[in-house]
Amino acid sequence: MDRRTFSKFAFVTTLMAGAGHAPAASAQVRQIRMIEAGGKSGDSVEDGYIKPFTKKTGIKVVRESPNEFGKLRALVEGGRTDVVLFEMGAASLEQAKSLNLVEKLDWSKIAAMPIFPEAKDDFGMGYQFYSTLMAWRKGVKAPASWKDFYDAKAFPGKRSLPDDPVFVLPTVLLAAGVPMKDLYPLDVDRAFRQLDAVKKDVSVWWKAGAQPPQLLRDNEVQYAMAYSGRVTGQEGIEYTFNQANLDLSFFCVVKGSSTADVDAAYKLLYEMSVPANQAMAAEVISYTGNSPDLEALLPPAKLGQFPTASANKTVQFFNDAAWWFKNGDDVQKRWQEFILSL
Amino acid sequence: MRFVGPLLAVVVVCFDIPVLFMLSYSLSGTQGLTLANYGAVFSSPVFLKVIANTLRISLIATAVSAVLGYALAYWISGLQGWARNLALTAVVLPFWVSILVRTYAWIVVLGNGGLVNRLLQWSGISTEAVQFLYTDFGVIVGMANISIPLFVLPLYAAMIRIDRRYMQAAASLGASNSVIFWKVFFPISVPAFLSSILLVFILCLGFYVTPAVLGGGRVPMVANMLDTYINRIPRWGTASAVSTVLLVVTLALFAGYRRANARLGG
Repeated sequence: MDRRTFSKFAFVTTLMAGAGHAPAASAQVRQIRMIEAGGKSGDSVEDGYIKPFTKKTGIKVVRESPNEFGKLRALVEGGRTDVVLFEMGAASLEQAKSLNLVEKLDWSKIAAMPIFPEAKDDFGMGYQFYSTLMAWRKGVKAPASWKDFYDAKAFPGKRSLPDDPVFVLPTVLLAAGVPMKDLYPLDVDRAFRQLDAVKKDVSVWWKAGAQPPQLLRDNEVQYAMAYSGRVTGQEGIEYTFNQANLDLSFFCVVKGSSTADVDAAYKLLYEMSVPANQAMAAEVISYTGNSPDLEALLPPAKLGQFPTASANKTVQFFNDAAWWFKNGDDVQKRWQEFILSL
Repeated sequence: MRFVGPLLAVVVVCFDIPVLFMLSYSLSGTQGLTLANYGAVFSSPVFLKVIANTLRISLIATAVSAVLGYALAYWISGLQGWARNLALTAVVLPFWVSILVRTYAWIVVLGNGGLVNRLLQWSGISTEAVQFLYTDFGVIVGMANISIPLFVLPLYAAMIRIDRRYMQAAASLGASNSVIFWKVFFPISVPAFLSSILLVFILCLGFYVTPAVLGGGRVPMVANMLDTYINRIPRWGTASAVSTVLLVVTLALFAGYRRANARLGG
């Protein structure tokens, strides 16, 4: 379904909400539905977690993607309760909580294996760590920090950045010399001033994670900010986790889901906490699960590619989801104005 | 006539009710009826700038494809037999190729290491890669490429119906070729030309894929901004207000077209 049909669809489903469309309660769940990020990340969910889950319970899982936040709102406001699990980032999770779009999790029922504390939220299970980092075309001068990355004089070439202030603003402040631990509260005015100084070197503001590796390969740009899973292990592209943005994707239960669906979803969430399953998922894409015991199961030769490998985790920073929830609206508006002034 | 009822129902349910719904979204806030969404649209320069930019890009793309489309249709209408069929096939063929594919193809053609740039450097016209992509230029080329067939087909259909004896009569009265074209042929083709212009322009206003792929995020258009406000942020009230403003602008243009057409007809 493309975006245009989707928005039409969203309106129609919202319209039907008034018709009192109650979900049929069934004790035996044969299948559940989830909306996830798609691409290789979705395949990793399939191989790592859905396969063992279906084998154990006999319940099939239908995946849908992409997981744009507006879709969650359309689901809940439209009273469509057949989708039980929804994947989202940390900042979106805060927003979903405040808009009352997700159900509180019963962690005692999930009975998860030991997981990192940041992955255990009242309303979501963080299941996948990913990084947004600097990458460059093999053969150009390698940057070691965001200061280098944004210095087009010393590191000549075109840049590509995401069309998203959440990823871009912290990195320009790091380039200006703000230490990682002092990033928040974000100095937005300073960040936009910094951006004005570097925007002429940016030829593409990307929207999809598949764009930066392609732009680097085609030599359209020489330096790019990219999701780690898209560039690690790629021929002709180099990267560093230094000063990268470590992030966590959550799975949440959609508001209004039936008890039977939720129980099934809990069993799937349990599978997401099993280190052996996470190792399977990490074979599909170089993102890592939430278990502190996972590192021992990862192939040593590829350890450098994973966001949470000890050597990588310590040189990165987390965004402050609560800050973004509070200020996101204003910053997004300024961002739009900035993009228009290019 | 018995199809009218069901067809009308389909149009009302699938198109009109969603539009009304959008209007109600744009007027509703947390405290019931409000004009706050429109206030936000008109008080912030961003939204108006994007709408203005969308109108500007659409106008240029329409103008470019109008000139090329008209010339192409005129040329094809003068061809005979298999040559005419071949030319028409060549115009229609891209219709079977997805817009997404055609848009990405321009990256291969216009990119820094693309066909055009390699040709320019090989021939010595330019020593450095010319930045075609991720600019207004790239977006306009992509949009014109998609809309040219929409000019050619209706114009061709209108042109072959023009009675050639008018031109022969003008020639027998001593008119030169250019006079025959501008005084006789062109005025007869104007109604079809105008309706194609309107059709393509309105279509261009809603382009999403082309600016997203060929604009590199630097050529903002309304559809892309709506994507942000529907899917990412999501502020549906604001998105609905922007859509409504665009709808009103489009309707105003349509009204202008109707008046111009009525005057031509009268």
